[in-house]
Amino acid sequence: MAADLTERVQEIAEARGVPESEVFEQALERGVEDMWLDLTTTRYLNGELSRSEAVESVGEERLRRAEREAEAVEEDVRWGSTA
Amino acid sequence: MIVAVTDAGPLIHLGEIDSLELPEVIDELVVPESVRRELEAGGAPGGFDDRSVEVATAGGDESWVEAGLDAGEAAALAVAADRDAILLTDDLAARDAATETGVEVHGSIGIIALASGRGGLTEDEAAQLMRSLQTDTSLFVTDAVVEHGIEILREDSDG
Repeated sequence: MAADLTERVQEIAEARGVPESEVFEQALERGVEDMWLDLTTTRYLNGELSRSEAVESVGEERLRRAEREAEAVEEDVRWGSTA
Repeated sequence: MIVAVTDAGPLIHLGEIDSLELPEVIDELVVPESVRRELEAGGAPGGFDDRSVEVATAGGDESWVEAGLDAGEAAALAVAADRDAILLTDDLAARDAATETGVEVHGSIGIIALASGRGGLTEDEAAQLMRSLQTDTSLFVTDAVVEHGIEILREDSDG
């Protein structure tokens, strides 16, 4: 996996014509962004954040997508448990 | 008696976590011909045996395709509507189209929950498979949402 990552970073850096350090920086930003979305969604679904606070944190569109996913998963689990 | 029509998504995603036997928990599973062709063209997931399912022929409503559904999703929805069956899909747009059409719809997570509900999986096995769907497959769903689903599964099992 580490070798894969190194090779991919090298290839991305070459393809974009940027230093590998910049690729790492962008990857870190994206990773943290995803983890922040997960944390915010968890807190929102657990009732620890209001909807407006969650929107302020991750944006309306991403929160709506997460709400739609949660609704689908909830429907599926309830169906599976009772059908 | 559960009769369901599936598009390619659940079969691909369950195949990616080596759980293609789980749809057998459905009493009668129908696969549209276009979905079967789609699976074959993409390299059918290991373990997919189309002898265990009924293959149906149907065209989808053109408006569904215009709304963003692919041919397989539209065909599966058409067959499900025609037979008053459940649609199995992991695509949110297909779920919305099914709901608008009055067709009950579920996805891979529902199949796992059903297998658990019917005693084919323990609660822990079902939870692990739900997490694997999020981490090991091409299904897009956030970690938080999967954990929320696992929490509901455990509540329903305990309740």
